Amino acid sequence: MIKRTLFFGNPAYLSTKNEQLHISFPEADKVDRTVPIEDLGMIVLENQQITITNGLLAKLTDRKVAIVSCNAQHLPEGLLLPMQGHTEQTERVRYQLEASQPLKKNLWQQTVTAKIKNQHALLQEKGKESKRMEYLYKNVNSGDSGNHEAQAAAIYWQELFDIPDFNRAQAGIPPNNLLNYGYAILRAVIARALVSSGMLPGVGIWHRNKYNAYCLADDIMEPYRPYVDLMVSHIVETQDDYSELSTELKKELLSIPALDVKIDGQKSPLMVAASRTTSSLFECFAGISRKIIYPEYG
Amino acid sequence: MDEKYFSRLNQYRSLWVLVFFDLPTETRKDRKIATSFRKKLLDDGFAMFQFSIYMRFCASRENAEVHIKRTKKNLPPKGKVGIMAITDKQFGMMEIFYGTKKQETEPPSQQLELF
Repeated sequence: MIKRTLFFGNPAYLSTKNEQLHISFPEADKVDRTVPIEDLGMIVLENQQITITNGLLAKLTDRKVAIVSCNAQHLPEGLLLPMQGHTEQTERVRYQLEASQPLKKNLWQQTVTAKIKNQHALLQEKGKESKRMEYLYKNVNSGDSGNHEAQAAAIYWQELFDIPDFNRAQAGIPPNNLLNYGYAILRAVIARALVSSGMLPGVGIWHRNKYNAYCLADDIMEPYRPYVDLMVSHIVETQDDYSELSTELKKELLSIPALDVKIDGQKSPLMVAASRTTSSLFECFAGISRKIIYPEYG
Repeated sequence: MDEKYFSRLNQYRSLWVLVFFDLPTETRKDRKIATSFRKKLLDDGFAMFQFSIYMRFCASRENAEVHIKRTKKNLPPKGKVGIMAITDKQFGMMEIFYGTKKQETEPPSQQLELF
């Protein structure tokens, strides 16, 4: 089932009662609300004046709700996930840690292929044909030794938006701000799925930057990025001003977990597909399967 | 973005589970059983609609089945309980009155909610 996302942009007191998330507001005239914890997938705490009880935090982590806290600039800063995400956690982590180098390279090859293929499909949908991209995804080497990922990215970012001199950078010109936000949400969704499949999101198959706490999440989210790009390009095409991350725009980006994707021949919400991907990843680590199941754009 | 990208979440797929009950409250023990049944409904995310009618929004049929099954497991030994699931579309067509004044029906739980 698709889990719900709650976004708190106003002051609120969050506690728990009857196994529910209980929300009350400092304003006297606002009525309290309750939400079943088991229906939740992610909560985003954006306002600085949110009070949350430990009892609630414990129940949320127990239900594997990803809790995203934001800094004073309203940008996602921290992610709280349970220590135990799966009953077979320790065994699964061992499989992950013991994965051989050739296996990891093979998984990375599959990941890059799926990513470029999705990027290509998105460009194609926008009427921007690229023969070069097609060549790149059809010829990814083990471990992407030819670095096709970067070559494809160079073409992709030039083509995707009709913005002169656009390039993808953390502090780049808009819509980089939208992309950063969207990817942060996507990352939380993927990290949550990884943890609930019993894996460590910190130990990647390709990403291994020592400053990055979510290497595996960053690996696995690659083929999902074009869905964020789709949403951002939709915003760019329909909104006049997107230089500021308004609540309206955040609302749009926060619906990413509910976006329809096609996975394994079926239509499914992105958040559900993410779990499908992470469980197939575990099967690869455990030697049960050789294929990670990624969504296919289009 | 438009609905075509969110087809899994529509009014015909999402359900409301309604639980109606009449439980004996003659003895202290009966009352205790009735209270615990009610408490379990609350723990399961049901909300009171009327004194002995509780309801819960479920995003899918599978999810509704989970909560129906749970309610069935908690049934009290005596008393009458009805469980019904209707689509969000049907639920939305219900007319509710306070006196003669018309009231809005409960909106379904959104997949994304901003507070």
